[in-house]
Amino acid sequence: MRKEETVKLISAEGFEFVIHKDAAMVSQTIRNMLTSPGSFAETEHGEVTFPEISTTILEKICKYFYWNLQYASGKQTEFHIEPELVLELMMAANYLHT
Amino acid sequence: MSAQKKRNFQIEAFKHRVVVDPKYAEKTWKILEHAIHEIYNHNASGLSFEELYRFVTFAYTYLTDGLMVFLHIDRVTTMTYHLKEISKSIEAAQGELFLEELNRKWADHNKALQMIRDILMYMDRTFIPSTHKTPVHELGLNLWRDVVIHSSKTQARLLDTLLELVHRERSGEVINRGLMRNIIKMLMDLGSSVYQDDFEKHFLEVSADFYRCESQEFIESCDCGNYLKKAERRLMEEMERVSHYLDARSEAKITNVVEKEMIESHMNRLVHMESSGLVNMLVDDKYDDLGRMYSLFRRVQNGLVIVRDVMTAYIRDTGKQLVTDPERLRDPVDFVQRLLDLKDKYDKVINLAFNNDKTFQNALNSSFEYFINLNARSPEFISLFVDDKLRKGLRGVSEEDVEVVLDKVMMLFRYLQEKDVFEKYYKQHLAKRLLSGKTVSDDAERSLIVKLKTECGYQFTSKLEGMFTDMKTSQDTMHGFYSAVGHQLGDSPTLAVQVLTTGSWPTQPSATCNLPAEILWVCEKFKSYYLGTHTGRRLSWQTNMGTADLKTTFGKGQKHELNVSTYQMCVLMLFNNTDRLTYKEIEQATEIPASDLKRCLQSLACVKGKNVLRKEPMSKDIAEDDAFFFNDKFTSKFFKVKIGTVVAQRESEPENQETRQRVEEDRKPQIEAAIVRIMKSRRVLDHNNIVAEVTKQLQVRFLPNPVVIKKRIESLIEREFLERDKTDRKLYRYLA
Repeated sequence: MRKEETVKLISAEGFEFVIHKDAAMVSQTIRNMLTSPGSFAETEHGEVTFPEISTTILEKICKYFYWNLQYASGKQTEFHIEPELVLELMMAANYLHT
Repeated sequence: MSAQKKRNFQIEAFKHRVVVDPKYAEKTWKILEHAIHEIYNHNASGLSFEELYRFVTFAYTYLTDGLMVFLHIDRVTTMTYHLKEISKSIEAAQGELFLEELNRKWADHNKALQMIRDILMYMDRTFIPSTHKTPVHELGLNLWRDVVIHSSKTQARLLDTLLELVHRERSGEVINRGLMRNIIKMLMDLGSSVYQDDFEKHFLEVSADFYRCESQEFIESCDCGNYLKKAERRLMEEMERVSHYLDARSEAKITNVVEKEMIESHMNRLVHMESSGLVNMLVDDKYDDLGRMYSLFRRVQNGLVIVRDVMTAYIRDTGKQLVTDPERLRDPVDFVQRLLDLKDKYDKVINLAFNNDKTFQNALNSSFEYFINLNARSPEFISLFVDDKLRKGLRGVSEEDVEVVLDKVMMLFRYLQEKDVFEKYYKQHLAKRLLSGKTVSDDAERSLIVKLKTECGYQFTSKLEGMFTDMKTSQDTMHGFYSAVGHQLGDSPTLAVQVLTTGSWPTQPSATCNLPAEILWVCEKFKSYYLGTHTGRRLSWQTNMGTADLKTTFGKGQKHELNVSTYQMCVLMLFNNTDRLTYKEIEQATEIPASDLKRCLQSLACVKGKNVLRKEPMSKDIAEDDAFFFNDKFTSKFFKVKIGTVVAQRESEPENQETRQRVEEDRKPQIEAAIVRIMKSRRVLDHNNIVAEVTKQLQVRFLPNPVVIKKRIESLIEREFLERDKTDRKLYRYLA
């Protein structure tokens, strides 16, 4: 993974997830952040901090990004969500416009 | 987790739990306002998208509606403030720089707007649809339009500058097309109505004025060809302009303007322009100019109609001159050749310049049909032309070329209305060709007949084909004759008889002449042989059509073979016994009809180089008291001497009348047959319809005269094929 192709997502607790840009751009919000013509801090450094998203949720989100890519490319599997995460996950989804 | 699903789960349950800081709205706004300022100042790198986005999300998720509206309005004012700044700086830009400044600011604004939109995306997603406010991006564009473009100073200036640039480009200057394109694109981005109202409308008006003046100037100073060239170039320029920096939808509009101003309003003048208009182009074969005229005039309504009308009128005119010119009538071959040349010329024009337009071809055809039939002798001349070609014109020409010539003739034939007249003449000429053995190629003859057959049907050519069959059987008969009785003949003259079926051949009833005794004997032999093999037939001699080869010895012992007609042979044979004969004596001895005898004597005695007879007194014409001598001093460098009869190739006036009359006679039964055919199927029909139907049926062969048709109907009524209806006198009934 070359650096230009990746983006670093940082959770509220400071955990860093390095994932492909393609995957991260499943989120409309992140897509806008990374493609906005003006250079925001995120675009320049290639890292985004989410002070409102906990590590557990962010991890689940990253998994979802990759699952989504696979799903879109035709591999139809189930995406398992633990019931206790559902609410927080939904808030995050609303925020990330996923 | 599709978008659909998530919408259903708008997180409302959480609302009451969050304690909203009353100052939160203000705080949010401060941050956002700051961000917008920074963005406009190109200083965004210090901003965190996530942070801003989080604020917006939070604000629009938890704030009350009232506060949100407040936020919205605030945002509008901030942007307006910035745009006003921009507007001022644009207005301040001097001259040339104005557009560049505008362009640069526009690019900035666009970029900023996109960033703001991204930040406020959450608002676009949730707040805007539910409150029917304008989305951020659109709002930004609208603000730009209202504040910058429609500011009192900029609006007029922008328009003037753009039009000025276009004008400069039209006058040949090079302008910055990229800049132009950006500005136009900006107007289009602001909505098609902005582009149309602020630019296109004025642009079209100015263009119309420009081209009106220019075309006026051109038309005063240029000839038609040059004018068209200029118009075409202008049109190309405008299209290029559109493709470079205008909206593609403007192309139709601007070309329309050019077409209207440069072509439509000057159409008539161009076509009729003296010494360079359409007619002159046609005369001078200016295919390029004609093609240009075609492609330009095609663009405007009625353009081609004018071109076509003028062309048709011109062709008709020239054609009419050609067919009615008495000079031309002297030489039928030349006459037809000219027609063909004319046709070729226009075919080429239509092919090269008019894109093979069907309507033009039709116009050409109808013109030809019109003027060819103006001259009642066209059928005769066309047949004579074919005759000439098949006698000598096509000698040594390749088969394909023969086909080409024949096809062309067929094309003229198609234009003829009186096809039966052509048939009549063609038959005569074909008979002469066959009997004198002058046909260049049997294949060509047959191919022409096949063509006629496909054109007019079997009926038309059956007799012509009969003539070919007769020629063939005659050959066999002669073989049979010589193998059967050849030994009895000894060294008497060789005879070649062609037995012709009456009816198939155009025989003229002619008085038979007295054949010399030697010939007569052989003829009698043949007659008895032929009637012996075929019973129930009658043979009569057509002495006016034959030829003979005579071996002659002249005074100094030089020998020649003379190729002469049967009549001439009869005359020459008389000189075997004596050297001097008077006209009266010859007439008595041969009993050749006076007109034919005169003609044949003329060719024997008066043609220089072929005068095997000497006449007293020496004069051009034959008089009844002339005397003839055998010309001992005759010399020729050829062994074989062909003595042609002085034939009137063209029919003389009385002959022509006679043929006409025969044609009219032939038409009667055809018309009657058509009437009977129609009535048999219809039983009852009124007069006008009969005439129409008959005309339709016979059109392939000739155009029947209504008066003649009426006469035929009357004759049929007399003979009780038809009767008039008792109540309605206009109705006819079919009897039997």
